[in-house]
Amino acid sequence: MDEEYAFFPGCIAKNVYPGIEKATRIVFEKLEIGLRDYEYSCCPPPGVMACYDKPSWLVIGARNLLQSEKDGLNPMTICAGCYGTLHNVWYALKNDPALMDYVNENLSKIDLKYEGKNHPIHFLDILKDHKEKIAELKELDLGLNVAVHYGCHYLKPTSVTGENSERPTLLDEMVELVGCKAVPFKDRLSCCGAGGGVMSGEPDVSLKIVNTKLNNMKAANVDAIVDICSFCHMQFDQSQKKLGTTEIPVLHLNQLYGLAFGIRPKHLAMHTHLVSTRDIVKKVKAAKKG
Amino acid sequence: MGKSVKEILMDGNGYACIQCGRCTGSCPSGRECSLRTRKLIHMARIGMDVIKEDELWDCTTCFTCQERCPKEVKTTDMIIELRNLAVEEGYLPTMADVPKIIIKSLYDTGAGQPLSPEISKVRSIIGLKKEAYDVSTNEETLKKFQRLLDGLEITRKGGLR
Repeated sequence: MDEEYAFFPGCIAKNVYPGIEKATRIVFEKLEIGLRDYEYSCCPPPGVMACYDKPSWLVIGARNLLQSEKDGLNPMTICAGCYGTLHNVWYALKNDPALMDYVNENLSKIDLKYEGKNHPIHFLDILKDHKEKIAELKELDLGLNVAVHYGCHYLKPTSVTGENSERPTLLDEMVELVGCKAVPFKDRLSCCGAGGGVMSGEPDVSLKIVNTKLNNMKAANVDAIVDICSFCHMQFDQSQKKLGTTEIPVLHLNQLYGLAFGIRPKHLAMHTHLVSTRDIVKKVKAAKKG
Repeated sequence: MGKSVKEILMDGNGYACIQCGRCTGSCPSGRECSLRTRKLIHMARIGMDVIKEDELWDCTTCFTCQERCPKEVKTTDMIIELRNLAVEEGYLPTMADVPKIIIKSLYDTGAGQPLSPEISKVRSIIGLKKEAYDVSTNEETLKKFQRLLDGLEITRKGGLR
């Protein structure tokens, strides 16, 4: 394969929503983009680790980054949280030789070294260069009205990501490729409320934040939420179960593509989501017949 | 490597703050709780005990305030640094036990969020390996990883040593 990445699935996609890992493997195989596995640890999370002990966060992040450095492969993430960690660690080390020295001093204890020659990439930034192929592979126009959720750490801080954090359009365009419409809704770019250790540390605050967002989505009458972050995905799916006020199915973009490519919903583990995806499956079946 | 509040303000451009409140007005968390980012920056600047504030831990680190600050104050970066200082000084937030659980899981399995038997079953049903290939697949690699963690502050702060 001409194009290949080191696949960094992240804890949530591996251990909580394996359908996201599976969907990613299927979509990338169809696109003929290689994914290689490495002996990764947790990214580790920016909320908990970076706030508890930033130097440790840098060292553990660098250990992940270096895994594929010798093979000349860039690590690809499917979670904005993992992306936030790996990309911010990479950026900090690249711009601060003293920090790089500190990290390598620690890594040398287990005979490792990071030189900063590769760089992490979020999968959306890979897929954006394969729009034609995605349109070619599409077997179904899904015809869903969706609320897209970019994930804060994919967009921000823009000094590191280079994105437009107030008016991003890429994910909107990417769902349109498979016949979906990104519906406008109030405060569409606001945080899901999971990050910064708030989901686990201040669960009441976290639920209030996500509840506001979910109600805004509900008011726009969407069929599904489409995310590009396993952590936001978990927040939307689990919180709806706890709140009991909305029932909007939650799909990772790779699951949406899997459906459009004709993969059976069960193979994307959609039946394991807490919010039922039954209505989506029905619509997909109807699209198949039509 | 720990920074003082003054150093955090210097590095985060905190002295440029004009107290306009755009940070607080942009905050998705502050709408739902008592977090007031402007207040935290002000407290830091006048030498109050900002690291004892529980609100410091209500920030989701979404970076909206930092992006919108007209004076390019690195508000979110500063909150993360202030949390580091708070932990260093022993002012643990209400969430103190949660990081400890995550840190222990990271040490034992390499994953912050461990795999349950139920999900392991789902993995094999949908055609994935029962356990994902990672740092814990090879026992030697996991031991080396643990040796790395043994030398880091995170395991001491997480109560593992």
